[in-house]
Amino acid sequence: MGINLDDLLRHYRSHIFEDYQVKTPHTGVISFEVEEGQAVEGPSGRWLQRPGTLLYILEREKNAKRIYASWKGQVTGIRSELEGHFVEADELVLFIRHRLDREEIIDRILTQMLTILRAPQQARYFLSSDILAGLEKRPEARIAIGPGDEVVIMSLMKRDTPISYRGEPGVLYKVYFRSGDIVEQGSPLLGVCPSDRLQYMQKVIQRIRTDWED
Amino acid sequence: MTDSGKLLSRLADRISYLIDIKGESTWGNLDELQRQVQDLHRSLFEIKEAELYKEIDRIEDRVSFLEDRIARRLTPAEVVNIVRSVQRFTLTDILENVYDSYTELGGEGECNIDPAVVVARATISRKVKNRLYSHQVMVIGHEKGRGEEYRNGGCARPWGNDKALRYMLVAETEGIPIHSFIFTPGAYPIEDYPGAAQQIARNIYAMARLKVPIVSFISEGGSGGAEAIGLSDLRLMASRGYYSVISPEGAAAIEGKIREGEKLPRDLVEHCASQLKITASDNLKLGTIDRIVEEPPLGARREDYGFFRRLRYEMVRATDEVVLRTKNFRAFRAYALKRQGEEKVSVPEDFDLVINWNLTELEIERLLELRSKKYRELGKGFFLKKSRGLGQKFRKAKAIASKGYYELRYGLLRLHHRNVQKVIEEVSGEGSVFFKKVAEPVRAAYDFVFPQPRRPAKVIRPDGPDRRSIFAEEWEPYVSPLANEDRTVTCPNASKYGCMDLWVPDLYGELCGVCPNCGHHFPLEYQWYLKNLFDKGSVQEFNNHIASGNPLGFQGFDERLRRDIRRTGRTSSIITFDARVFGIRLVVAMLIGSFRGGTVGTAEGEKFVRACDIARTTRRPFLAYVHTTGGIRIQEGTLGVVQMPKCTIAVREYIESGGLYIVVYDNNSYAGPVASFLGCSLYQFGIRSSRIGFAGPRVIRETTGKNVPPDYHSAKNALKRGHIQGIWDRRDFRKNLYEALTTMGGHNLYYR
Amino acid sequence: MSRERVLIANRGEIAIRIMQACKDLGLDYVVVYTEEDKSSLHVRLAQKENDLKRAYRISNYRDPNEIFSVADQAKCTAIHPGYGFFAENSGFARRATMRTRPLTFIGPRWEVIRDLGSKINTKRLAKELHIPVIPGSDRSIYNEMEAEGVAEELFFLQKEQGIQHPSVLVKASAGGGGMGIEEVSRLDTFRMVYRKIQNYAKRQFGDEGVLIEQCLRDYQHLEVQLLCSSHGEVVHFGTRNCTIQSTGRQKRVEVAPGFDPAVCKYPFDAKGVLDQIVRYSVRMAGHVGYDNIGTWEWIVSRDGSPYLMEVNTRIQVENEISASISRIKGATGPTNLIREQIRVALGDRLGFTQDDVSFKGTSIELRIVAENTNRGFVPWCGTITRFDYLDRPWARVYSHVPRDIPYKIPTEYDPNLALVIIWGQDTEQAKERARQFQRGIVIEGKGMEGENIVTNLDYLYDRIGYILQF
Repeated sequence: MGINLDDLLRHYRSHIFEDYQVKTPHTGVISFEVEEGQAVEGPSGRWLQRPGTLLYILEREKNAKRIYASWKGQVTGIRSELEGHFVEADELVLFIRHRLDREEIIDRILTQMLTILRAPQQARYFLSSDILAGLEKRPEARIAIGPGDEVVIMSLMKRDTPISYRGEPGVLYKVYFRSGDIVEQGSPLLGVCPSDRLQYMQKVIQRIRTDWED
Repeated sequence: MTDSGKLLSRLADRISYLIDIKGESTWGNLDELQRQVQDLHRSLFEIKEAELYKEIDRIEDRVSFLEDRIARRLTPAEVVNIVRSVQRFTLTDILENVYDSYTELGGEGECNIDPAVVVARATISRKVKNRLYSHQVMVIGHEKGRGEEYRNGGCARPWGNDKALRYMLVAETEGIPIHSFIFTPGAYPIEDYPGAAQQIARNIYAMARLKVPIVSFISEGGSGGAEAIGLSDLRLMASRGYYSVISPEGAAAIEGKIREGEKLPRDLVEHCASQLKITASDNLKLGTIDRIVEEPPLGARREDYGFFRRLRYEMVRATDEVVLRTKNFRAFRAYALKRQGEEKVSVPEDFDLVINWNLTELEIERLLELRSKKYRELGKGFFLKKSRGLGQKFRKAKAIASKGYYELRYGLLRLHHRNVQKVIEEVSGEGSVFFKKVAEPVRAAYDFVFPQPRRPAKVIRPDGPDRRSIFAEEWEPYVSPLANEDRTVTCPNASKYGCMDLWVPDLYGELCGVCPNCGHHFPLEYQWYLKNLFDKGSVQEFNNHIASGNPLGFQGFDERLRRDIRRTGRTSSIITFDARVFGIRLVVAMLIGSFRGGTVGTAEGEKFVRACDIARTTRRPFLAYVHTTGGIRIQEGTLGVVQMPKCTIAVREYIESGGLYIVVYDNNSYAGPVASFLGCSLYQFGIRSSRIGFAGPRVIRETTGKNVPPDYHSAKNALKRGHIQGIWDRRDFRKNLYEALTTMGGHNLYYR
Repeated sequence: MSRERVLIANRGEIAIRIMQACKDLGLDYVVVYTEEDKSSLHVRLAQKENDLKRAYRISNYRDPNEIFSVADQAKCTAIHPGYGFFAENSGFARRATMRTRPLTFIGPRWEVIRDLGSKINTKRLAKELHIPVIPGSDRSIYNEMEAEGVAEELFFLQKEQGIQHPSVLVKASAGGGGMGIEEVSRLDTFRMVYRKIQNYAKRQFGDEGVLIEQCLRDYQHLEVQLLCSSHGEVVHFGTRNCTIQSTGRQKRVEVAPGFDPAVCKYPFDAKGVLDQIVRYSVRMAGHVGYDNIGTWEWIVSRDGSPYLMEVNTRIQVENEISASISRIKGATGPTNLIREQIRVALGDRLGFTQDDVSFKGTSIELRIVAENTNRGFVPWCGTITRFDYLDRPWARVYSHVPRDIPYKIPTEYDPNLALVIIWGQDTEQAKERARQFQRGIVIEGKGMEGENIVTNLDYLYDRIGYILQF
């Protein structure tokens, strides 16, 4: 288990901000509801039922769609010149500069210790129905996964191919994509924590909790 | 010195009781008095005795004076405070003081499936000519305790009400009367199995025809929670109790549209308390209770033994009356008359008679008949009756004619098939001519009542000939007027399932308001169901002369009622009608959300009961389709609440006569109706995307302090909890209904 | 000057063909594309003309809201759906014509698309008009007992005809394109299959109606190409034979005309059958008031009985082989059916009658697809590094794959690479030219793991010899 926690923490201290791109989900006329530099909130509530800050309104076919922030942070690089204009789909309209908090640091460091299942090809991916059902029941549940389990379904050119997990047995620790998303080849799909490493993980978490100040 | 100490504590109790009642300590300088008592208590051993007693006397005089003053002009809000005071008597005090001995059943104290509900097997006795006679009874009631958390303030959890039901059935098995004591601000509004609403419905359904006398006593009657054990042959109420459809605070929050977390204006709460007509004398006037049990002017407290003596007398007396009524009327009259004028001031020590509380089969029949009659009368005279139009008069004539027909057909026919057949043929032959005459104007009236919504304007290409479909008739269904707009909407599940925006004319047209990607159901107006669920032209409304009114004279309500009547063209939130589904004739009661949020009051209850009865006499299946119901109409107070047992009794009689009763929930179905005449159905279904439950998330948060997930009341969760039997897609409603009617109704649809 | 501007709501080669047709007609046009498709030729060609923004990026070709949003923004007056996507979507066509800012839908009017889009309605209508259809139920069946009854009868009929291995097909009424179809060869397994298809149909289409048909095995797949106008004109452009298909019932080699008795022997009067299916198709088109381009799909069994299968209310991939063998009197060049389609949709009269249409020669279409024909036609994906062929006067190639830069095949769509259309004086010449052309095609590419590209070129070469044979 060759990770140097101190190095990692130092790295994150110097790279504490992450810029998230906010792109238009579809065409329409845009009107911004935030200004450059404004602080915005991500979704909140126990079930994330309260949306984040309203970023902009995208009106298409007489439907004024409200687009909310998915992350907490600060608005940067807002393209105010688009205000009131028609924009195409996938247009980058602003960034949210997000400051990593302790839990996210933990999450990122843990990711480096997980066994990662990567996308074999660029394709649309779906979680297997077992996992999906398990997560739906209890989102925080740790689902056990063993080698040979069909964990993900790859949908390529209208054909579905089940993908099996091949690593050590463990529990599903993290899902990196939304079921139905197109994932680039090589991008992580799932992170599995081998059972024997769970305890060590707990220790690392403890360590970061004490070392890191928000 | 101990004496003076006791005196002082008693004084302190009296003062704090007054503070409880007034809801503030500054009134009449009560806080100052309180402080003086505390000072005296502290310096008990420093002051001379004479001086001490003098002080005590002075304070006591002052307290008595204030007590008198409050008692003389007790407001409804103050009555609520009396009931909520920790000094008020509880069920335990009653068990200790009214009954001779008792054994708690289904748990004990804190070790209990639900400590808020106490059940006990008890004996109650009477003296006749110096001899003691005792009776066995089942005592069921709420225990508020003295602030212990486990008592939950007397809010019964669903399984607490289930416990109550279990022991009601024990009482029935053993043939002993039930004394129920209602001390609840309301039921604990959670959906965990068996579910608040569903369990209350089951209780009411069982009590509707429970074969033993039931006498209830209300101290704190909080709406649905009270009804869970409140259906009875004789309802007593403490003179300083309250019985209400909703807490005055709850009403204030709704009336004043107060947002969550904001403080309720006190004036508004007091206003609502008086508008809701919650006191004993109000309820007596409304007929929602039968008799008042006098308390001391400021209400009975734990040590008011005089009151307990009176209560014992009243409970015995009431049970006697219920029993005697089943025997013969004259005996009851004689007994009841004796009572008059007697015991306003004091309670007699002796009874003249011993009355056996066992009933014979025949008497049980009579008991149930009387119970049914009593509840069916509730709320009558509090709704409006508009003059019957010509169609309505025909309708009534038809109803009478058809009743005779069906009685002949299903009653006599079975016995003297041959002999009567000829008569039947004549009757039905004549009848059919007669029916036709009356049916036509009714249909015309129907078209008037349900005006055709505007069809979407069809844009026609300027060129070309006739653009009609070659299969025209199949594609000419009712189209919602919502479809008349060129715009798109976003499915609420879009972020979860990636649904594309929907073009409104498509969505409300051929998609029937259903997202083609995730199946989410957008709400549709009730007319859509009238047109698409039933066979074309088969819907014939009845009893639409019964209209909602403002029986309590609730301030500002007349205007709101008028507005809804203008807006919807309807006069109550229920539509009752005959209809057919693939040729199967059925009776339907439809609760609609556009009129007062689908709330139920006296008019709605009466129409529901009548629809039930029509289904019974015509021997047809009965469908309750709930487009939306927001519960009992709070502006009708307890008159609304008693529609719960009233309608449930009608349902039970219908089902027991062999009827098939199906309930289908759509959009939002909450509170009282679900907790009674809807929830008691043996077959309940939910339309997709509907929500079903007892109380909404806000009420749950305010009463339990817990947040519930956004999908807490979803049909899916209702199915998981076993509250409904299935979830229907709106587009399959007609087919599923037909299937349900044929499978559940069996070969002959309806008759067992 | 009120000029029409056409929004091309499609991708790939058809977008390019429509674009060309618009230019030929002097119409303006706009294309849409997704992020994945940004290097596709249809986008690059549209962007080449700099005077006007002609290419708009959208989130999804399947989202009608995106199409209409761009149509309004780009001030389009008409929409060409191509094939696939919105081509046979009556809801889309209806929305185009009924919205506040109406757009001309280049296709039949929406009522026709709706009515003929339903297999059941088509079948029922055919029966009314005495047009033969495949034996089976002519309405959706929702009841298991009834379904079994129909199946039983079909088995009986086949046995009576002496068919060796009788079987029936169970189809989802609302399905199409080979989805939700299963074969039953033993009556006792029927119920199980019926339930399976019923559940599938309910899940997939929200309607659990099921069709039951006799399963025909030994047959040829023929098509009749019609062109109609809103002025009541109906003209046919002959027949096609599309019998050569992949395992997923995807067409790979198509030939016009449908049969050639001069080259092949048929156990029936081939010309008579072709005339018959043309006559039936024209009759039906006239009856429903068909007003655009359309294809009537037929099955012809070994005994020469034709059965109407379905009507495709759109331009088809293989339309050009029919165009290639036909000539309109007075026209300067070969027929272009896409152009004709746009013209009639915009309200023109045909300007010619059936008598003005003459036929000459044989035309073959080869569909070049990156797929492994030896392994169940699984699609191959990767990057094409070279795509080249020898230009010939008698061949045309349609492709969105650029010949100058590497092209990564998008994984979201069918891996069709190119269409080759060959014309010959007669069938023999056409076959020879097709083989000749095939030999001149060069496709090079690398997959994810550096492996060489897999295409169906060899498969196509083999098949050329089998065309038009029963």
